[in-house]
Amino acid sequence: MRTSPETPATIALIGNPNAGKTTLFNTLTGANQKVGNYSGVTVELKSGETFTPHGKKLRVLDLPGCYSLRAPSPDEKVAVDALQGNLPGHPKPDLVVCVVDASNLERHLHLVLQVIDLGIPTVLALNMVDMAEKSGLRLDPAKLSEELGVPVVPMQASAGRGIIELKQALRFPFPTPPQAKWAAGTNEGDAARREFILDLCELAARRADAHQLTFSDRLDHWLLHPILGWVVFLAAMFTVFWAIFSFAQIPMGWIETAQGGVAGWVESLIPEGDLRSLLVDGVLGGVGGVMVFLPQILLLFFFIGLLESSGYMARAAYLMDGVMSKAGLSGKAFLPLFSSYACAIPGVMATRTIDSAKERLVTIFVAPWMSCSARLPVYFLIVPLLLHENEGSWKQALILFAIYALGTLSAFGVARVLRRKLGPDAGNHHFLLELPPYRAPQWKYIFRHVLERGGSFVAKAGTIILGLSILLWALGTYPKTDSKDDAEALAHSAMGRIGAVIEPLVKPLGFDGRVGTAILTSFAAREVFNSSMAVIFRVEAAENDKQTRASLRGRLAAAKWPDGAPLFTPLSMISLLVFYIYALQCLPTTAVVAREAGSWKWALGQFAFMCGFAYVSSLLVFQGGKILGF
Amino acid sequence: MSPALAADLEIDSAMTLNQVGVGCDVRIRFLSGPGCDRLRDLGFCEQLQVRKLAGGRNLICSVCGTRMAISRELAEQVLVAPMG
Repeated sequence: MRTSPETPATIALIGNPNAGKTTLFNTLTGANQKVGNYSGVTVELKSGETFTPHGKKLRVLDLPGCYSLRAPSPDEKVAVDALQGNLPGHPKPDLVVCVVDASNLERHLHLVLQVIDLGIPTVLALNMVDMAEKSGLRLDPAKLSEELGVPVVPMQASAGRGIIELKQALRFPFPTPPQAKWAAGTNEGDAARREFILDLCELAARRADAHQLTFSDRLDHWLLHPILGWVVFLAAMFTVFWAIFSFAQIPMGWIETAQGGVAGWVESLIPEGDLRSLLVDGVLGGVGGVMVFLPQILLLFFFIGLLESSGYMARAAYLMDGVMSKAGLSGKAFLPLFSSYACAIPGVMATRTIDSAKERLVTIFVAPWMSCSARLPVYFLIVPLLLHENEGSWKQALILFAIYALGTLSAFGVARVLRRKLGPDAGNHHFLLELPPYRAPQWKYIFRHVLERGGSFVAKAGTIILGLSILLWALGTYPKTDSKDDAEALAHSAMGRIGAVIEPLVKPLGFDGRVGTAILTSFAAREVFNSSMAVIFRVEAAENDKQTRASLRGRLAAAKWPDGAPLFTPLSMISLLVFYIYALQCLPTTAVVAREAGSWKWALGQFAFMCGFAYVSSLLVFQGGKILGF
Repeated sequence: MSPALAADLEIDSAMTLNQVGVGCDVRIRFLSGPGCDRLRDLGFCEQLQVRKLAGGRNLICSVCGTRMAISRELAEQVLVAPMG
């Protein structure tokens, strides 16, 4: 055991999913981990620091939830490896804190006994004692401690109760690894542990009445009802989408006004020239066009946090199991795919809760086709142009819905084909899900999580997108000509030349070199398309972003091919939308898929497939439409 | 009668969790099948009391105060007997 101040001792938190490990971890370390009332929220190893009552530093590891140390799913394997010290960069823990839900000792003690069998010093954190006692359970922590041979700390981590007592139990020297009493009996292994647990629970956790209908039971009677359950589910999903598409317009207006104000201020400060053009067209136009989506992203993460934290997400997975099975997936794929509507990256990471390796790979593969929020700017630009309208009519909402439906249905179709092709699983994986009791949402953690996601989005806008905006501006500005005509200057610039080179490639899809260049720039991140188009078509940032989009649409409607034919016909716009529904234009997603699937081959295959599919679909739409006479 | 035969007879007379009516309380007698270990990890152990709360494509059961949704295939591997 290391006790010197330089190398702090490591303690690991382990427990069944949904036992409150992450809440305890956050309380101990003051860190900001995402907490959800849905098993499998901790999909990666988190580490932080805490101090004993005597001021000694401790390193705390938060392991993903697991039911046993046999490890059939990837996140459980991480936990097992960490306990045995097999994870690179993480030493074998000096002490393990087993977090158990006091109302479910019969089930949660299984893992505790397996951990004790490993011979590591162990402390038992008896979490959520308030809920257990409310449900009529009579707990005897002293008896538990005596029988198991480990310190037992009753606590309520969410309210901060019992933290001091737990820290007292973590002081040096650590307790010695206990003797496993169950090994002395006639049975061996699992059977011995089961028998021991049954006897122990008779002694130390007596239930008043085994089956009382709880509040959650009564609520589930309605929420999982074959008809009413679906009404509630659809209403909940509709509310989420309504808030994202409609309610978010209010804060988006504020951001746009602020952006226009800054642009006006810069223009009044700096004389006309390259620097002003760089700041107003390049930086403000590019970054501002993306920042405006911050409210929508924050709202989506807020709702996902709310659904997870309250316990409804598990019910949604249960309801959706039948629908998902049509695509060869299980209800567990619902959360990853639903999250992908916000952003494919957290969606791909959430697939770790899926036991079946093949189902997980298929879910990862199709997740980017759930239209993510980064595609919205493109849709918002093109859809009103298609209808010759201003933004915000019910027809546009209908087209948006069709766009989402097309992406989702295609994803299900591909999942079905791919799932068949990969064949059945080696192991036996069936749908199996814990339905946690409903709890009041933990607002503090939801808001912290939302802020964290928002922060990382702003950081992306401040780095990748800022860099690309400046690069694009430079490519569209230099080398310069003496011509006063903007279009001529653009054709002369580096961007105009790149556009001319790729034009033959995108012309069959109905786009010219300028649109081709904008598409090319959006391969780093989709939302760059709008700022590229604004830069390419020389639209100056207006009072607010809606007006910028409106004036950009004006320019696009007037844009012509060299022969005078309009560039944006309804057919070429539909072709453009189809391309954006299918193309995988997001470097971070490809990087995350490579890590999660464990192979670059899978990630690059996905990239090639989706881009190829996008190209061919666009080609079919445009050429097919032309043949049909549109 | 040999103990093995007695055990066989008991398995034959037991019901699976699928056959139990909704709202019934039963006690788990045996687990048999490839999903056994997983079921035991989740709390579906021999001797424990289970209440079936909903049937259908996936069953909802209450075990030790926790509600679990399990597939019909898994429920087929849980052999139960009436309480008593």
